[in-house]
Amino acid sequence: MTGRGTASRYLSSVLRNGLGRYVCQLQRLSLVFSPGGQSSRGARGYVEEKVLDFAKQNPGVVVYVTPQKCRSPTVVAEYLNGAVREEIIADKTVAEITQLVQKLANQSGLEIIRIRKPFHTDNPSIQGQWHPFTNKPSALPMQSLRRLEQQPNKV
Amino acid sequence: MAATCELVCAWRRLSLGVPPRRALWGGMRKKVREPEVVETAVPVKDPPILVCPPPRSRKYLPPEDLQSRLESHVREIFGPSLSEDWQKASLKESKLKYRLLAQLAAELGHAVPSSRLHQMCTAGDVLAFYSTQVKDASKFDELCTAELPSNLKIMWEH
Repeated sequence: MTGRGTASRYLSSVLRNGLGRYVCQLQRLSLVFSPGGQSSRGARGYVEEKVLDFAKQNPGVVVYVTPQKCRSPTVVAEYLNGAVREEIIADKTVAEITQLVQKLANQSGLEIIRIRKPFHTDNPSIQGQWHPFTNKPSALPMQSLRRLEQQPNKV
Repeated sequence: MAATCELVCAWRRLSLGVPPRRALWGGMRKKVREPEVVETAVPVKDPPILVCPPPRSRKYLPPEDLQSRLESHVREIFGPSLSEDWQKASLKESKLKYRLLAQLAAELGHAVPSSRLHQMCTAGDVLAFYSTQVKDASKFDELCTAELPSNLKIMWEH
C-alpha cells in the first residue's frame, strides 16, 4: 500500500526518555510455551538457560513464564504506554529468541509504522521564524512622532 | 392412503401396546440359584504390591579426596610397575581395568556406563570421569529450587 493508505506517525520519544535518565519502556514479558511439543524446543531452552540472566539484567521488567499445553509458543510484550506486541517464537533457536527478547526490551511502545520525518525538534527556531514583516520598519512609531511634531502641546 | 394409515396403526399397536412377555436377554431360564458355598479352608494370599518403586537416583557428587583415593587404588592394583605419573597408567589389560573400575564403582556408588568403557584408556580418563558431577533433577526443578529474582514469576502448575 502507499504511504497514504497505511498508518504513519511523527518521530517522537515517550516523555523525552533518555534526555535525563533512561527508563526501560518494557513493562511486562509473558512467555507461553509447551513443556512437551517440538515447536517449543527453543522456548524451553531459553527458559532453562537465558531467562534468569535477562531478569537479572532488567530488574524493571516483570517476566511471567507459563508452561502450558499450547500449539505455538508466544512471547507477549507490554509497554508502559499501553502498547502490546505479540510475537510467535515457534521453531526458533535459543539465540534467535534471545535476540528477539533483547529487541523487545530495547523498543519503546511506539508503533512500528512509517515515520513521516526522520527528525523532530521542540525548538524549530531560536531567534524567531522569519515572516515578511521581519526586519522591516514598522509605520506606527513614525506616525506618532510626526503627530507630536505637528502638535507639540497635545500629548 | 387409507390402507397405508391402517397398516401404520396396526404396526404401532403391535410394537407399543403390549409389553414384552420376557426379558430381552436370556430371561427365559428358570431362576434356580445354588446356595453360595463359603470356603474357609484355603487362605487367600495377599495380592502382590504393584506399586512401582522409585527409580534409583543417579546423583553423583565427586568427593573432596578423589585424587588421593584414586591414586591409592591405582598403586594398589598396578603394584610396583607403576611409573611416577600414575595418571598415565594404561588400562589396556582387562583384568587390571576391571579391578580398578569395580573397586571405584563399589566405593563411590557411581559406575562407568558400558557405552563409555572404551574411552577409559588411562587412569587420567578415569579421574576425569569421576570428577564430573551428575545431576538428577531436570532443569525446571533446578530453576524452582534456585533463587529467582523478584521480577521473574514462573507458573508451576502444568
